[in-house]
Amino acid sequence: MVGKKSRFAAVLALLLLPSLAYGAAAVTVKGRLAGTQKLLNPVWNEAKDPASHSYSFREPSVTTRLEARTLTAQIEKEVAIVAVSDAGGGTVKGNMVLIGGRAVPSTLVITQGQSVQIENKDPFPHRLYDTGNKGLQVGDTPPTKARTWAPPGPGKYEIRDQAAPSLRAWIVVEPKAMNVAYPDRKGEFAIDLEPGKYKLRAYHNGDMVGKELDLVVNPAPAEQPLKSPLLVADEPKKDEKK
Amino acid sequence: MILSRFWYAVLALALGAAAFILLIAVQQFNRAGNRAMGESLTADSSAVEWYLKDDARRRASALVPIAVNPELRSNLAKSSGEAKVSREVQSKATAALKKSAAELPPELKFDAMWAVDAQGRVIGAIDEVTGANNSEWELGGFSVVADALHGWIRDDSWVWKGRIYRVVARPVEQELNGEPVGAIVAVKIVNDEFARAVSKRTNTAVGFYAENQRVASGAPEGFDKSNLDSITQDLKYLEGNKDYEEKGRTEVRVLNESMGVVYARFPGEAWDLGAGYAVGRLAVRMDTPMDFLWKADNTDKSAVTKSPVFFAVIGGVVLALILGLLFSYFEHTKPLRTFMDQTVLLAKGKLDVLAPSKFSGAYKKLAADINDGMEKIAEKGGVPRKAANLEQVLGPMPSQPAMSAFSLPGEAPPSSGPVISATASSGPRGLPKVPPRAAAATPAPAAPPAIEPEAAPPEPSAARRPPPPKRPAAPPAAPQVPTAAADVQVAEASQIQPLDQLTGGPADAFDEMADWRKVYEEFLALKEQCGEPTANLTFEKFKGTLQRNKDALVARHNCTRVKFTVYVKEGKAALKASPAK
Repeated sequence: MVGKKSRFAAVLALLLLPSLAYGAAAVTVKGRLAGTQKLLNPVWNEAKDPASHSYSFREPSVTTRLEARTLTAQIEKEVAIVAVSDAGGGTVKGNMVLIGGRAVPSTLVITQGQSVQIENKDPFPHRLYDTGNKGLQVGDTPPTKARTWAPPGPGKYEIRDQAAPSLRAWIVVEPKAMNVAYPDRKGEFAIDLEPGKYKLRAYHNGDMVGKELDLVVNPAPAEQPLKSPLLVADEPKKDEKK
Repeated sequence: MILSRFWYAVLALALGAAAFILLIAVQQFNRAGNRAMGESLTADSSAVEWYLKDDARRRASALVPIAVNPELRSNLAKSSGEAKVSREVQSKATAALKKSAAELPPELKFDAMWAVDAQGRVIGAIDEVTGANNSEWELGGFSVVADALHGWIRDDSWVWKGRIYRVVARPVEQELNGEPVGAIVAVKIVNDEFARAVSKRTNTAVGFYAENQRVASGAPEGFDKSNLDSITQDLKYLEGNKDYEEKGRTEVRVLNESMGVVYARFPGEAWDLGAGYAVGRLAVRMDTPMDFLWKADNTDKSAVTKSPVFFAVIGGVVLALILGLLFSYFEHTKPLRTFMDQTVLLAKGKLDVLAPSKFSGAYKKLAADINDGMEKIAEKGGVPRKAANLEQVLGPMPSQPAMSAFSLPGEAPPSSGPVISATASSGPRGLPKVPPRAAAATPAPAAPPAIEPEAAPPEPSAARRPPPPKRPAAPPAAPQVPTAAADVQVAEASQIQPLDQLTGGPADAFDEMADWRKVYEEFLALKEQCGEPTANLTFEKFKGTLQRNKDALVARHNCTRVKFTVYVKEGKAALKASPAK
């Protein structure tokens, strides 16, 4: 009997162990961004300057609400939420899609040693290059084709396109990155993390914006909401509020 | 001569000035032409710029009916709130888009049109030109689309695969004063059709270029569009051109000295992609002054001939011509004719010498030189031409070169009869001796009595130089009177002298008939001395001869008396008739 019981316990343990292990890594942290209305798209805002010669006429639609005319960032394509850990050791890969005159996501965070695949879904070729001349040489990326590039080390790399001035993207190599998430239009996001201590950051235009948010991920429950939003812009000062 | 020379100098200066002015005019014309061409090209470039802006505005306005299409608006609003675009929404939106686009006026038709939702995703499309996979495509990255999705209406220019697209976009709003639920984006390809429309509206020759290639061009009638091909080779000039990079427009460039061009950058993304347009005009250039004539058309010529200035010029030319002819006549033709007339008279013997005072300029010296020459010939005794000329003109003449001669009527001129000349012995004053003619010049006439004139004073007009030996003009009416036995040659003195001086006594005591008798006797005696026959020479005949000579001289010289004297001339007796008063 003992032998039978011990065999049953061993089989049960073998069956439960993966599920326990899986459950420990699949904790989903849900949160939202705050202050996104202060993130501006640099390309669009430069283009609105008459000195940029981007148009022959530009006028507001009188039927559009005034606040809506601000060229804020399209956060679901421009903001990256990164969980970093001092322990490091994470592996974060990333793909970038060239479509509609921009790169999606426009800010891509990866860990060191990872390569980035850039796929062209526009009907015309792109000619990408990195502005710092750090390895991404000018080269054609025809429609439906992709090119791969491995940034040489930690840091920020700005990518531009000789064929599409509106395209501007950033690749951030963050060695401590454990995972990356992208918000939806409402600024809500979900990031899967193993239990542990993290700092949650938001990146926009290749730079960290707002304030880091300390995060402790517990093994359970599987979904753990953030108690406070992740600020992507500094809070307005009291004087400014007045 | 001075006027002619002055006139020639004036003409030469005028001609040189005209040539110089023409050369200056060519340069000035070219410079002014280039300046005018530059101003015109700048205006052309501005006109194209304004047309593009106006065209973009009109096209953006044309999108209003599409943007307010209810079905399109509802489908865009529905799609904007969803994470994934449904095929059904895409189908409905595309149908609504096509329906609205079909109602656009023909001149505002687009080559492609998209309806994008608030996330920039393509929900509906009319697109057969880009090759995009529109069911999974989006346009939200372009600033013109982003502007539209944020409530702005504007235009842009894209360059895809070497093709220029004019883009307009405007927002689609579901509710008033709300946020856009999407945008309508429409493009018009810049092709030859578009360029022709630009050219027609702006009356310019315009070429559009992108990626260092000309992509479209249009030109008004009369302008060869292929001229715009040369801009392709000139596009490298734009690299580093400060005006082009900063102001978006170049100064005027002249290509191949035949066409002026101004380049301008396209507004929009094309600005950064090197796309733009060039307006051109053919350079009106004169290479040489003759081009003013060769390149003039009938309109130019007609305008000139109707101008008052033209008539002034013609009048000036005619006046100059008349002045030149007058100067030429008075300073060349007339003096020459005068000289020729005088020389003819001289040749005919009507003049003894040329009067330099009658001539002007070089003819004066020429006449003096001729006179000198004749004088020297006379001094050398060589006067064959004189005898020959006078004989040709007057017939048989006495051998005195400076006298006219005639014969007494009725006296047959023996071919070799002696001539008895009454020399110094016939008068107290004596007559000048004229060198004898050359023996071969004239055969000796039949011994008429020769009458020599008194010595003539020097010609007043030739006073400045020693006068040639006086050669009395040949008397035009000098009669040659034959006699029965021998000729009586009577020489005539041309100057009237007082009778008392000729006779040596008082004039009132002069008995002409007695004097003639005395002369007759002296003449017979002299003829006998010379061995000439005298049998047929009666006093009556002699008297008749003298009377006729006297009558002739009185009529010619308006004198009252004639004094005859005898002398020996060349071994023969001769008579000399001197008019007296």
